[in-house]
Amino acid sequence: MKPAPFDYDDPRSVDEAIGLLARYGDECKVLAGGQSLVPLMNFRLARPGRLVDINGIESLGQVKVENGRLLLGAMVRHAQVERSNDIAARWPLLHDAIVWVGHSQIRNRGTVGGSVAHADPAAELPCALAALDAKFHVLSRRGPRVLRWDQIFVSEFTTSLAPDELLTAIEVPPQDPSTGVAFVEFARRHGDFALGGAAVSITLARNGTCSDVAVALLSAGPRPVRAEEAERRLKGGQVDEAAIKQASAAAVQGLHPTSDLHGSREYRVKLLQVMTERALTKAVHLATRRAA
Amino acid sequence: MSAVGTPTRRLEGRDKVVGATRYTADLDVGGLLHVQLVLSHLASARIRSIETSAARSVPGVVDVVVAGDLPEQDVAGPDQPLATQRVFYAGQPVAAVIATSEAAAHDGAAAVEVDLEETDAVADAVAAMQDSSPVVLDVQEEADEGDASMHGAAAGNESEPVERPRNVSAVASAKRGDAGAAMAASGVTVKATYSVAAVHHTAMEPHVSTVRPEPGGGLTVWSPTQGPFALRDELAEKLDIPAHKIRVVPMPVGGGFGGKVSLLEGLLALLAIRGNRPLRLVLTRRQVFAFAKGAPAARFEIEIGAKKDGTLTALRAKFSYDNGASAGWHGGISSAFLAGTYRWPAVDITGYEVSTNKTPVDAYRAPGAPQTYFALESAMDELAQKLDIDPIELRLRNAVREGDIDGQGAKWPRVAFIECLEEARNHPLYTAPLGAGEAVGIAAGSWGGARTPSAAGCRVEPDGTLSILIGTPDVSGATTGLAMIAADAFGYPVEKVRIETGETGVAPYGAVAAGSQTTYSLGGAVHEAAVEARRQLLEIATEQLEAAPEDLEIVDGRVAVRGVPERFVEITELVTLSTQFMGTFRPVQASGRSAVQTASPQFTVHIARVKADPETGAFALTGYAAIQDVGRAINPPEVEGQVHGGVAQSVGRALGEQLVYDAEGQLKTGSLLDYEVPTVDQLPGIDVRMIEVPSPVGPLGAKGVGEPPAVPGAAAVANAVSRATGVRVRDLPIDRSRLVIPS
Ligand SMILES: Cc1cc2nc3c(=O)[nH]c(=O)nc-3n(C[C@H](O)[C@H](O)[C@H](O)COP(=O)(O)OP(=O)(O)OC[C@H]3O[C@@H](n4cnc5c(N)ncnc54)[C@H](O)[C@@H]3O)c2cc1C
Repeated sequence: MKPAPFDYDDPRSVDEAIGLLARYGDECKVLAGGQSLVPLMNFRLARPGRLVDINGIESLGQVKVENGRLLLGAMVRHAQVERSNDIAARWPLLHDAIVWVGHSQIRNRGTVGGSVAHADPAAELPCALAALDAKFHVLSRRGPRVLRWDQIFVSEFTTSLAPDELLTAIEVPPQDPSTGVAFVEFARRHGDFALGGAAVSITLARNGTCSDVAVALLSAGPRPVRAEEAERRLKGGQVDEAAIKQASAAAVQGLHPTSDLHGSREYRVKLLQVMTERALTKAVHLATRRAA
Repeated sequence: MSAVGTPTRRLEGRDKVVGATRYTADLDVGGLLHVQLVLSHLASARIRSIETSAARSVPGVVDVVVAGDLPEQDVAGPDQPLATQRVFYAGQPVAAVIATSEAAAHDGAAAVEVDLEETDAVADAVAAMQDSSPVVLDVQEEADEGDASMHGAAAGNESEPVERPRNVSAVASAKRGDAGAAMAASGVTVKATYSVAAVHHTAMEPHVSTVRPEPGGGLTVWSPTQGPFALRDELAEKLDIPAHKIRVVPMPVGGGFGGKVSLLEGLLALLAIRGNRPLRLVLTRRQVFAFAKGAPAARFEIEIGAKKDGTLTALRAKFSYDNGASAGWHGGISSAFLAGTYRWPAVDITGYEVSTNKTPVDAYRAPGAPQTYFALESAMDELAQKLDIDPIELRLRNAVREGDIDGQGAKWPRVAFIECLEEARNHPLYTAPLGAGEAVGIAAGSWGGARTPSAAGCRVEPDGTLSILIGTPDVSGATTGLAMIAADAFGYPVEKVRIETGETGVAPYGAVAAGSQTTYSLGGAVHEAAVEARRQLLEIATEQLEAAPEDLEIVDGRVAVRGVPERFVEITELVTLSTQFMGTFRPVQASGRSAVQTASPQFTVHIARVKADPETGAFALTGYAAIQDVGRAINPPEVEGQVHGGVAQSVGRALGEQLVYDAEGQLKTGSLLDYEVPTVDQLPGIDVRMIEVPSPVGPLGAKGVGEPPAVPGAAAVANAVSRATGVRVRDLPIDRSRLVIPS
């Protein structure tokens, strides 16, 4: 298990890093936690000529809260998110999603920026970030950009990041404390990539009707999917069992997850519907308690 | 106090746990070069050309070798060390790169250009038997049942009917009575087709070996082989070198399970001799899956019948093994299990060994048994449901006992199938009430057990400790049990006994560590060696103490006169007397030999509890018990450990382990991401119940224990899942989607 030979840079600042990216473009790859890139290199499925290792850039490893918004530096490890009490209290969906990522060894090294830039449709974090309407801060010598989730995630393993661009931070808007959230998924073994999953964030008004809801689906297509039809049906109404069932059925309408060794399209759709139902049920239960 | 039967920690366990054990890949050898293989990317092709010049110019690359560079080998196409003219499976080695570092060897291998002309491949055993199928093997090889016997399987007859379907190398069959008439007269029958996927040992340590050419034309081979002597003899024959010139140094085995007798050593030896340099090859995990032989897939069409009261009437079976690009040898084993587990008045069994364009197969823990017992025990469960009889009761009414006809038409010796079933019937996991979505499944299994003549040596060290010298490596913790046998025989606590596994040049002859035979075959030799060493030691003490040997005893590191503790001599002193310059006593150097005359077949019953999720098809194991006749547990926790591992492996076949190939013969589960080894959170606590019906011939009553636990797990889980979901599982691994989406 040896990668093909490559050159290596170890920049100490974001400025230095984007300088290298500008210079080498698609000859090089950013190395973050290496939990996806290094296996691909060892299998020689990826053969970047040069690695720009951003592990030495301290400023990218910070978790900050500014004006109520959460700012996760690109190099924040999954484990940092998992262990942060502040995140668990104020952005619980992130916490609930991150514990599904691989195993603790993977979460110790893997980064939030890497998860986003890798854009695996089975990755939990992009799905949760889609539900949370997160924004993505991108920088290159050409200047900064801020992208919405539906602007950065393009397709399977494909983002709109240009070869010279570095993802620097993820911004998550403040969350209403009465919101109920849930992240559920179905994987063959814990730590395996999910065959289907759902992230739900729901806020209930005093009268029990749904004032705000986001439903994002995992492994449902080439990129995270927001179940807009389900959200539309739920908004403004009472969220009882029947409504949840209807919304879950609507959520999987028209989905075409790819069949593979581990699950046919039909089975994956079935799982997505069940996961949506379970996530909604759990989130509504929490929201009801919080609203009370 | 006797050591045998007393729970004892594994002698070599600590080093393994703390990472101190030095495995083959850790070994430094002066002047070592590294080898990487180039494997065929196609499953069936003619080799047009292999372009090596780019690889040769990679820095660090010393040599690039193709088949034409090596002396011709008299073996079948798929077994050539490097492919000549044709490739028979994706993963077959076509070239070898030798370099100064592992990385350079990988770079070199990536630069070798192999130009293949694709020819039609067949990857499915059923398709391979059609007249229209491409022919897989150039020469129709004959299956070699010698392989089966090495692993201790009781093989039935592989007879020679007139016509064989295409790509079938051998046919196994068994007939007794008139199965057709008996079936027709049955009150109830079950007829179904069961399939079992190909799986892999997935040992933690990949295949690895180091070979050094020695002056004078000999070789030293460091290998985590399960069978140093078998490997030595194989190399001697292939290379035409006298066996005594080949020294195989048995290294700690990082998981063998039948997959580590020999694989790389023949090729490495040829390469090492060619370049006259020591060479090491470590396979990557992908190469292990693609090139190291796993266990065959199998398919069974079974029909069984019974009277209304549950008395079995007949069994008819047609089955096939998918052997990849090899002839295969599991059929006779299956036939014997099908015919000999229950008291069938009539059987009619035919089994085919089929070749396909996939990686060749070989032995994996209890070869043939998990496949066969999945089919047989699933059918029995279906029959119990149809008859509305308790599944254990159905088995109790029909299980074989001493004197019944076994799978080869001989008579069963005293076996403990009934005792295992009785224990299962009363087990709390079986009798406790079921929760919602929960069900319990049971399955039985058996194994014949191997035996090989073996020897052992024994001497006393200067510090008074005892060294037992053997030639069989430890793949299971067996050496701890052997040390316990020696301790009791010599009169020592086990802490004062060590087992040394020597290289073939000096070690006493020992069995392959396979076929559940290590303790069974070696135990007697070790016992005899220790008894003899004691006799020799006491003989020296006799003169020192002026007492007859029968009046002497060994206490606290001394030899003392019985009843007169103040008359003693330190054992260290006796060693000095018998080893010193100008000494006059002969050194303690004992040997023992054994040749166990008959097998002691083992039976086992597993109980699995599962809870199924009716919406997703997921299921969780909520409890598990394994009941097994072990004859006598020399080291009870070691037996439990063997059972735990075996359960994990057999349950893994139900949970998700499978080698999946596409129609072109490409392996789709070639990494641990896709090949699903069960994880610890998928396995519940395993309650091991040992039944001890002593073997009349095994050492101290012991029987083999390694293989039986790997047999019935998949069937037990599948039966539980079938009962929990109402959907009958007939294919392994269990397809969760089928449990919720009607097919
Ligand atoms: C056994 C195993 C199980 C796993 N299971 C899961 C799982 O269940 N769920 C899951 O979501 N993930 C899983 N992963 C993947 C893991 O989460 C990865 O860590 C993650 O996908 C990538 O993060 P990384 O920091 O390791 O990125 P790297 O591997 O270093 O990089 C991944 C890609 O992103 C690019 N990149 C990284 N950072 C930046 C940046 N700041 N700007 C621009 N480009 C960047 C790299 O160039 C590369 O192309 C698993 C991995 C393993 C090995």
